[in-house]
Parts: sequence; C-alpha cells; structure tokens
Amino acid sequence: MVQYNFKKITVVPNGKDIVDIILSRTQRQTPTVVHKGYSITRLRRFYTRKVKYTQQNFFEKLSTIIDEFPRLDDIHPFYGDLLHVLYNKDHYKLALGQINTARNLISKIAKDYVKLLKYGDSLYCCKSLEVAALGRMCTVVKRIGPSLAYLEQIRQHMARLPSIDPNTRTILICWYPNVGKSSFMNKITRADVDVQPYAFTTKSLFVGHTDYKYLRYQVIDTPGILDRPFEDHNIIEMCSITALAHLRSAVLFFLDISGSEIVTSFKFVWFDILDENGLPFIEKTANRLSPESMFYPLIIVCNKTDLQPLDGISEEDKKLVMEMKAEAMKTVMGQGGEVGDDEGVLLTMSTLNEEGVAAVKNAACDRLLNQRVELKMKTKKINDCLNRFHVAIPKPRDQKERPPCIPQAVLEAKAKQAAEKERRKTEKDLEDENGGAGVYSASLKKNYILANEEWKDDVMPEILDGHNVYDFVDPDILLRLEELEREEGLREEEEEDDDFEMDGKELTPEEKEALAEIRKKKSLLIQQHRIKKRTAESRPSVSRKFDKDKKFTTKRMGRQLSSLGLDPSMAIDRARSKSRVAKGEVC
Amino acid sequence: MATRLMFENSCEVGVFSKLTNAFCLVAIGGSESFYSTFEAELADVIPVVKTSIGGNRIIGRLCVGNKNGLLLPHTTTDQELQHLRNSLPDQVVVQRIEERLSALGNCIACNDHVALAHTDLDRETEEIIADVLGVEVFRQTIAGNILVGSYCSFSNRGGLVHPHTSIEDLDELSTLLQVPLVAGTVNRGSEVIGAGLTVNDWTAFCGSDTTATELSVIESVFKLREAQPNAIVDEMRKSLIDSFV
Repeated sequence: MVQYNFKKITVVPNGKDIVDIILSRTQRQTPTVVHKGYSITRLRRFYTRKVKYTQQNFFEKLSTIIDEFPRLDDIHPFYGDLLHVLYNKDHYKLALGQINTARNLISKIAKDYVKLLKYGDSLYCCKSLEVAALGRMCTVVKRIGPSLAYLEQIRQHMARLPSIDPNTRTILICWYPNVGKSSFMNKITRADVDVQPYAFTTKSLFVGHTDYKYLRYQVIDTPGILDRPFEDHNIIEMCSITALAHLRSAVLFFLDISGSEIVTSFKFVWFDILDENGLPFIEKTANRLSPESMFYPLIIVCNKTDLQPLDGISEEDKKLVMEMKAEAMKTVMGQGGEVGDDEGVLLTMSTLNEEGVAAVKNAACDRLLNQRVELKMKTKKINDCLNRFHVAIPKPRDQKERPPCIPQAVLEAKAKQAAEKERRKTEKDLEDENGGAGVYSASLKKNYILANEEWKDDVMPEILDGHNVYDFVDPDILLRLEELEREEGLREEEEEDDDFEMDGKELTPEEKEALAEIRKKKSLLIQQHRIKKRTAESRPSVSRKFDKDKKFTTKRMGRQLSSLGLDPSMAIDRARSKSRVAKGEVC
Repeated sequence: MATRLMFENSCEVGVFSKLTNAFCLVAIGGSESFYSTFEAELADVIPVVKTSIGGNRIIGRLCVGNKNGLLLPHTTTDQELQHLRNSLPDQVVVQRIEERLSALGNCIACNDHVALAHTDLDRETEEIIADVLGVEVFRQTIAGNILVGSYCSFSNRGGLVHPHTSIEDLDELSTLLQVPLVAGTVNRGSEVIGAGLTVNDWTAFCGSDTTATELSVIESVFKLREAQPNAIVDEMRKSLIDSFV
C-alpha cells in the first residue's frame, strides 16, 4: 500500500543558496594548491577535477529535487487532482521540467569544458577555462531561481496537507456552506475543526478518525460547495469536488432545513458531479476504476432540526428533498440492495442538541461497510481468508467430559466487580513507593507456600561439601526414615529371637567345658600372636647396605653358635626363606 | 476479559509469561509493571510467580503446564526448581524432564485435558506429559508448522491458531481438542499466536499492538465476556472481511 506523506520532501534552497553551497563545497573538497612549475598534465588534471566535481554536486542537488517531488501522473488520482487544483499541474510540471533542463545543461557545459581543458597549454589558460565553466553553471542555476522558489512554496504547502489515505474506509461530509458539516465532524471525531457561524469557515480538507464496530473510519470534512457552473468554482470548492470524485467513500449530503433560502438552492443537483451513470465527471476522461465500484452510498442528512423539524418545511422544499432522496435511493439499488429499503438514506439530526448524530454516523458506516464487503466478496483474495471467518465447532469424539476450570473466586470477583472494585496493592505500587525501577528489588520468596512461614527466608544452599544439595533433597524423607526405623525395629526383634537359641543356658556341662576350653585356647592364641608380633617388630635386623661383604650369613651364624656350644639348626631353619622350590615340573 | 500489555517494549507477552488455570509464571523484568498487570488481575485467585528458567527470561517458550502440573526443561537449575516448588501449590506437580527439544513451550501446547506435541518429541517425554499434566497427547502440526506451541494457544473453552490453517485442519484440530477453534492473528497481524497471547479459562493477556478486531476475536473465541465464538461469523464478519481482504 502506497503511503502518501509529503512531509518528507527536503527543503528546496533558492538559486543563490544552491550556488553558494556547491561552490564552497568545491573549494573545500578539492585540492587548492597549484604551482606554475607543475607539469601541464598535472595542471589540466587539477582543473578538470574541479569542473567535474562541481557538475556532480549540481547534478545531485537538482536530482534530489526532481525525485522527491511526486509525479502527478503516478500518484493516486485523488492526490493528482488535488495538487492540480491547488498548484496548477502546468506550473508544477513546468517548474520541474526547468530544473531537469538545467541539470542537463550543466552536464553539457561540464563535458564541453573538460574537453577544452584537454587543450589548455598553461596554468593561466586552464584556470580561465575552469572559471568560465563554473560561471556558466552558476548562471544556469540562477536562471531557474523563480522555479525553485515556487517549488519551495509548494513544498511548504504540501507538508501541511492532511494525510488522507485514499484507499481506506472514508466518510465524506460535503455540500453547501454553513450547514453544520464541521460541527458534525467535531461531534464524531476529535479533529477539533474550527466552527464559525459564517460560510466558508473551512477552507481546505480536514481529516478526523472515528471508530465503529472495531474498525477505524477516516472522516473528511470538506469546504462548502456553492450552486454554480463547474467552471466557476474556486479552488476551495474544487478541493471538495476532487474528494467527491476520487475517494471511494460514504458521502453525507448535508442540508440546512431551517433556512428557506438555503433549501431552495437545492436545485444544484448532485449529478452535476456524478453523470447519469454514477461516474464522476473527472473520472470520465481517465477511467481508472470500474463503473460498479463508483456507486457511493449516499446519505441525505437534514441538519438543524432543533430550529425546524423536517415536517415543518414548505411543500416545494419537501418536494426537493424527496427528489434528492429518490436519487440517493438509486445508490442503494445500484448496490443490489432491496428496492424500497429506504433505511439510512434520509436522516435528520441536530448537531446542537446531538439528536440523531449517532444514528447518522452508524448509518454511514454501516452502508459503507456493506458496500465494501460486497465488493471484496467478489475478489479472488477472499478465498485466501475464508478460513479466518470460520469457527470450527468440535464434534464429540468420546463420552469424556472436559469442563473448564474456573476457580470459584473468579466468579465471585466478577459478581463483586459490578458492586465495588477495591484495588489491590501491587508490586508496582510498592516499587514506586520504594524508589522506582532499578532501585526497588522485590523479594522472590515473598509468596512461598510453605508449611512454616519462618522457612521463607532460609538460605537455599546449592552445593554443600562438594555435593549437589538437590540430589539429596527428598520431600518424603521423614516418612522414609520412620519406615526405616520401623524396619530396623522389626529386625532387632528378630535378632533377639536368634540370640535366644545361642544362649549358654541350653548347653550341657560337657559342652560348656569344651566351650570354655575353646575360648581359653583362643585367647591364648591371640595373646601369643600379639607377643610374637611385638617381638617381631623389635627384632634386630641388619639392613643390606651394612652387609655389603655378605658377612652376616647363616653359615657364619651357625659357626659362631656351634663354637658357643649351641645347636644352630633351629635358628638357621627360621632364618632361611620358606619359599617353595620349583620342582621343574612341566605342566 | 483480555488485557493488552508489553514486556519491556516487546509485545510478545506469551514469551515472557506462562498462564494456566492454577498458576501464572512471569519473567523477572527490569521493573514491576509487567508483573503487576498480572498480579492485579490474578493474584487473588492463583499464585503469580516471578521466575527464570535456566537463567532465561523467555520462560513461556521453555516450560509447559496446566492446572495439574508444570514441565521444565533440563536446563532449569536446582534453585529455580526449588523456588518454583516453594511457590506453587502442592497439587501442581513440578517435573524437570530430560528432553532434547528443550523449548517445551514451543513444542507442546496444552489445556487441562488435551495436549498437542511436536512430532519429534521422545516417547518417554510423551508419557511424562500424559502422566504429569494428566492429558491425552496428540502429535500434530498446525498449518504445516511443527512448533505447535508457538502457532496456537488454547484453553478449555476455545482456541486461536495460525492464520493459514485450512478449514479442514481447523475442524480436525477442533475435534481433537474438543474446543471451538478460530484461525487468527495477534499483535497487528503476527502469526505466532503462542508468543503474542497467553490465556486461561477466564482471562487473556496479549501484546499491546493487538488491534480492536483481533481483541474482539480473542474475547469471543475464548468466551471471555458474554460473547460466544459464533459472534465471529455473525456480527463481526463484515468488520473482519474489511480488515483482512
């Protein structure tokens, strides 16, 4: 969707400013130091560069102007015609054309002088050529000064145009001056349009927005149109006519039924604007839209009923009103509506006491929506969206009940809401009280649901003694402990039963004796062992490093012991290793 | 009724919160305004818990839950698990699961009775979903998208799915889930419904970009006010056609 925003056009400087900007840029951005002694190729290059750079900048500057201004033939016909009405298409095109010509001229000048510079034979010659080139470019730009000034004026005016979207849902309020169009606009939108008790208070188009049935409608307030031939309309009236002709919208025709003079001037019948086929006259030449889409929902609104009700007007006025109504009815039938369905065609209201204002708005929105929907239903695009207007209702697949789960408190709160609503003190309020965001730090533990309130602030260790605490967390630990203890109790009881059999009372005296003997022997053995162990530890032993000559042998010990008159066999036997000797058997 | 809100200038509120019929999880933000919107609406009825999951704020996309339980991805730290266990009522089972697809919120969509699951989910995970959340699990796609949790949002009373879901798919899904379904958008045309909307049986929260038309569709299909889902085909039809086509 094309957006029409004319606020983004950059400022158009006047001729003198452009020259200043470009020349100072050339001065700043290109080298400035040159000597007579430089080689001639270097001199030529130096000045060629200056000429080319200046031309480039002029080209860019003028191109932005040409590109940024909208082309009247390419934009929506509404804007095309509106700009034509306001600024005159011919002037506008001429101005832009002049700038385009200037752009081409400058390019040509630069090309010529670059060629001439190739033949420059001295510093002076090259310099003169450069000055001449820049001078001619500046003259060209100065000559388009008036066009630039005109474009700047237009730019300023265009930036203030209301941003009307020609394709959206639009309600157009139009007709005679001083009938309460702007008052109605102020009633249904927040546009705050100036309202004064004289004709032509509104001098241009104004836009407001209003909501109806979840949709946003663009409401356009137009200046009044006087009853006179088309050629005589002034620019202000032409704005309205442009909007009427090009915007696909619901059109509200406002009548002031309180003043007889105004009522008689109905003679200016609205199909001056729409021809007999319902096509707007401007459109006849450029038939962009299909004829069927040009049927507007027309609504005749009789305003100021607070001064005079509709029944109170004179016979001939009534006849005129009925004539208009009959014409408006055609638009209903044109849409394929039922014949005789005159609802929402002729409405009365009063913006002063707000009687019927809402009805008029609803009727306009309704009829516009119906028309748009009907058109859209015929397009292909509707097939892509059909699934979005479909509510899939489930078919039962089993007998299972799947009820919603709404806590009782919600239902109670809902019932209570009607009566009174007490506001809860939220974290946001606490935050605001305690220094605002970034200062206040809410506790995450505040709302814990625990068995004991005091546990809330307990530190939650993550790693303890190198173990991940969570691996050892067990909510049922107390239960299990109890179970374990119970199990242990049972086992102990059983063990006690076992011990009972082992009791000494059941033994015979011989067995008792044998048992005593065994126990005695056992304790003796233990004692012996311990003594042995102790002596073994305290036994002197000769480390191998003091026995380098291998003097301390069993043979020597045997000899010494024999000389002392002792039998050495036992001692030798003990000292010898007891390892088994391999018998050399082959397995 | 539906509330429009923002999480730190992001309209994807379903990413930063998880709403069920028994509890509501909210991401820890820079200020308390996001939390307080939930708090004002819900705290009288169900616990509203500020938490992170695995140090992330995108909790709505990482976990999945209903009134029976809450499933957390394996990235959840022990402290977060303990924090959630402490904050949630005892009848809600909190379970951390070992699943390769750790964005459970994107892969699973559920209400209190039925769940839709990503087609590549483990068999064990499927069993855990069925056991912990007490639901029937169906492996499904929504308009060709396997991330069922991202592209739909449903409660026990209604559901909203990806706008490109065909009418046949809508009917099939609706029969599976046993709730009325509508294809729609949130956040001014966003098709990631799960990210833009979080809903339970009596209230909904959506991003503040949501248009009036979208909001009215949400309110009717989830039966948040008096409106019934049929309103979408009756009185709202014209407005919908004009805004979509």
